[in-house]
Amino acid sequence: MHENTAENSVILCRSCDLAIRKRALPTGVRALCPRCNTALYDTPYCSVNGMLALCITALVFYFPANFFPVLEIHFLGSIRTTTVFQGAFAVFDQGYWVVGIAVLAAAVVGPGLLILSILIQLLIVKWGLDSPLGRHSLKQLLKFQGLLSQLTMLEIYVISFLVSSFQLSDFSDIYFGMGTFCFTMLFLVTLFLQREYDIEHMWGLLMQERH
Amino acid sequence: MKQQGKDLGLCLCTVCRQLNGSDDSHCSRCGSELHVRDYSSLQKSWALLITAAILLVPANLYPITVLTNQGKVRHDTIFSGIIHLVQSDMFPIAIIVFIASILVPWVKIIGLATYLCAISFNLPISKKKLMVGFHIIEWIGRWSMLDLFVISLTVALVNMGQLLDAKPAPAATAFALVILLTQLAAKVLDTRLLWDRLENQDDTN
Ligand SMILES: [Zn+2]
Ligand SMILES: [Zn+2]
Repeated sequence: MHENTAENSVILCRSCDLAIRKRALPTGVRALCPRCNTALYDTPYCSVNGMLALCITALVFYFPANFFPVLEIHFLGSIRTTTVFQGAFAVFDQGYWVVGIAVLAAAVVGPGLLILSILIQLLIVKWGLDSPLGRHSLKQLLKFQGLLSQLTMLEIYVISFLVSSFQLSDFSDIYFGMGTFCFTMLFLVTLFLQREYDIEHMWGLLMQERH
Repeated sequence: MKQQGKDLGLCLCTVCRQLNGSDDSHCSRCGSELHVRDYSSLQKSWALLITAAILLVPANLYPITVLTNQGKVRHDTIFSGIIHLVQSDMFPIAIIVFIASILVPWVKIIGLATYLCAISFNLPISKKKLMVGFHIIEWIGRWSMLDLFVISLTVALVNMGQLLDAKPAPAATAFALVILLTQLAAKVLDTRLLWDRLENQDDTN
């Protein structure tokens, strides 16, 4: 089969379909398409145990980040607080369910599923690659990985804490809560987790034992 | 080597990026359906983009929040909210909100329209520049969510009746749909079409 020899040395750009000869890269360098500058591949620096530690840390921060108060308003002697979760439900309650779903998906559900999905993938890679169920689950999770990482918008939510607090400081005193700290930590841990994670490498681990 | 995968009899899986033969109907690695080129993606992308462009009008004209402060009710559109921030001496915040809520949606819609026109009508625009623009659009698109996050936090925090109260207004839904539809329009488009249509012209421009 002529394709088999081509498969090992040639890759295609996903944006413009240009055929490019694959070369070994030094660590930390990313190959770009010479025609359209789309990122093609980089050297995988996956460490399964390191990612597992990051995943567990992210899960530890996940619940306080979503259910602890992120902002406090001190207004005429009374104190009101809100959490990320309540924020999504407040707009939902007002009848703006499209907005509510968007906020919930991008700030709560998306990040949660992303972390959970990577955690399950790592557990399968470590202990479940021999079982057909494990392989099947891993394949399905990898197919949804792209969607989940697009849905996760933690960095934008962190900026929105700042914008909200400045906007409201016009009317009364605003303080950050414990949730803000946890949410920022969740964002940082997830950022490192996504850097460490390499989907090509995960596909490689799944295919390895079949050959 | 300026050959396309199509000419070599190869086809890239759009889901997992595995290389397959162009005769294969399904990806050998993830089992997804394979298309050497997805011509219907151009129509889908146009449809989503036009809907988003129409929704951008109410998103900008109608109020996005209603604020009650000491009995006085103020309806704010995206733009008047930014003006208010400038007047309150919060210039850096005003710039962030302006970029996320006005600049990004408009740049996205105009940019995607240019891109789709270039493919549909074979416009002589530099492909390299179009592709750079496309990557920028893909990346900045998410930032429009900022305004919706801010609204949700404000609405949850500020509800003290006539003294101080914030509620979302109709433009919020329109704005959310603009973000969703433009993201989808960029996502469904098969960008490989651009490089085919103009292939007979100069490849280097
Ligand atoms: Zn390319
Ligand atoms: Zn595939």
